[in-house]
Amino acid sequence: MAAQPYAVEVDGVVKRFGSLRALDGATLRIRRGEVYGLLGPNGAGKTTLIRALVGLVIPDGGTVTVLGRRAPNLDVLARVGYMTQQAALYPDLSAEENVAFFAAINGAHEGVREALEFVELWDRRGSVVSSLSGGMRTRCSLACALAHKPDLLLLDEPTVGVDPLLRVQLWNRFQRMAHDGTSILVSSHVMDEAERCDRLGLIRFGRLLAEGTVAELKGQAGVDRLEDAFLKLAEAGGK
Amino acid sequence: MSGRRVAAITRRILQQFRRDRRTLGLLFGAPLIILGLLGYLLRGGGAVPAMGVVNLDDGPLGAAIASQLEQSKTASASGMSRAAAEAKLRSGELAGYVLLPSDFSSRAQQSRVISPEVHLEGSQPGLSQTILQAVSESFAALAGQAGGVRFAPQVTFLYGGQTFDTLDYFGAAFIGLVVFFLVFVITIVAFLRERGQGTLERLMASPLRRGEIVLGYMLGFTVLALVQAVEVLAFCLLVLHVHNAGNVGLIFVLEALMAIAAVNLGIFLSMFARTEFQAVQFIPLVILPQVLLSGIIFPISTEPGPLTVLSRVLPLTYAVEGMRNIMIKGADISWPSLQLDFGVVLGFCLLVILASAATLRRRIA
Repeated sequence: MAAQPYAVEVDGVVKRFGSLRALDGATLRIRRGEVYGLLGPNGAGKTTLIRALVGLVIPDGGTVTVLGRRAPNLDVLARVGYMTQQAALYPDLSAEENVAFFAAINGAHEGVREALEFVELWDRRGSVVSSLSGGMRTRCSLACALAHKPDLLLLDEPTVGVDPLLRVQLWNRFQRMAHDGTSILVSSHVMDEAERCDRLGLIRFGRLLAEGTVAELKGQAGVDRLEDAFLKLAEAGGK
Repeated sequence: MSGRRVAAITRRILQQFRRDRRTLGLLFGAPLIILGLLGYLLRGGGAVPAMGVVNLDDGPLGAAIASQLEQSKTASASGMSRAAAEAKLRSGELAGYVLLPSDFSSRAQQSRVISPEVHLEGSQPGLSQTILQAVSESFAALAGQAGGVRFAPQVTFLYGGQTFDTLDYFGAAFIGLVVFFLVFVITIVAFLRERGQGTLERLMASPLRRGEIVLGYMLGFTVLALVQAVEVLAFCLLVLHVHNAGNVGLIFVLEALMAIAAVNLGIFLSMFARTEFQAVQFIPLVILPQVLLSGIIFPISTEPGPLTVLSRVLPLTYAVEGMRNIMIKGADISWPSLQLDFGVVLGFCLLVILASAATLRRRIA
């Protein structure tokens, strides 16, 4: 398993919804232990790509390999943590009950306390989710995705609607996890977050326009700001 | 109060409905379907109940009454031997039979009382009333010829009896219906909440298999449904004193099967609704026609022909029949009719379990 250099390999994946091509030959690689930022505007195909990794979307063409196995694979899913865009939680359960439930369906019997401490919600573990603030729900949702200690963490726009302070805290946590060996895919359309990723993939119209470190992308576009690089690469790739 | 603000709300509501064709369909289509069904049931020229006439009378009166009965439009009467009538009554082919004994004419002349024996099957109050009415009409038609004679039929019941009230007849059917209805509503709404709040997507992205989700749901809701089933049964038997001639365990098993079927029907139909609002619309469409056609209120044997066919494919029909078989007739599992009832309800359970498991991924993907 350690011989596998990539946590995720996506090769020429196509997904159509009627006449819309949500993914149009998307290709990308995520290395083990890196934070990979999937950057693109709304409707670019970020969520569809993440859903293809967990088997919620079956591609019409191309291949998806997750942790060395062709997706969808139920055994692999136990090693994947998935945080949906919306804080998908049971509002009538407490924070601890939610995390314990998602840990259990992923086959983990412990890790609940660690996950809640990681997102600084252990003191509020008994609170019913419907009584938590938006930011707390986001953190609880993250705890649900990582309680079973996944090797790959998929975070679909985890910082949307999150205040700047919490956003910084979350990014520090993602980087700590990557340092400990977890591969992380974060989708976002916020450019300043992208600077924190080890590598980036720029996606538009269901295709990867460019891939590399922040410095590589800036160099590729010949500009100083990532935002300008994205606009330039998007313009070139959209034609 | 601002008329313009009120008008804005009114306009917004109408605009919303304009785009929700399913709700509009329910609002304007469902009443016509339900009332049309009721009209067809009541005026569709369904069959009249079957009755037997056992005429052993040596004199002329028996033959006259038998002849009147055979021409009756209230019931469909035909002459037969006593043994045949008794056998058909037990098998449910006859709603009742009239026995005119050998001394029927002579006793009527001596005592000035006409008292035929009327044997009723008794499990369906509507049918019993119709048979008594047919017998009474045949007497009334002869009353002119035998002036001053009193009519006093001796009525016996195979099941139920004079002491039975409406609740005894309907209670048996309602025990199953109440559990089925409430469990269905709770499951369909709960499953849609799971979709709406995004947690189902999370479940489907986990190593859970579809079968595990359906089974987990089924067990969770079944625990609740069984507690409810015990409560409903205990209330009916101990507080309302609904008549029960059968085994309480059998009633409970049938109730439990209906609850399991309702859970899975809820999961299955939730695939066809996007919101809880749309889910609630399934209630009149799923429940009301079944209530009308499952024999709870109107006996299936007297429905117009096409509706009989429809009734015979509705699973609730067999559940209702099963409950009445156990509670009113005291049937046990050795009775072929109860085996059929259990078989159909069990088969329906399995069908909706498979259907809910098979369609679970559809809306997610």
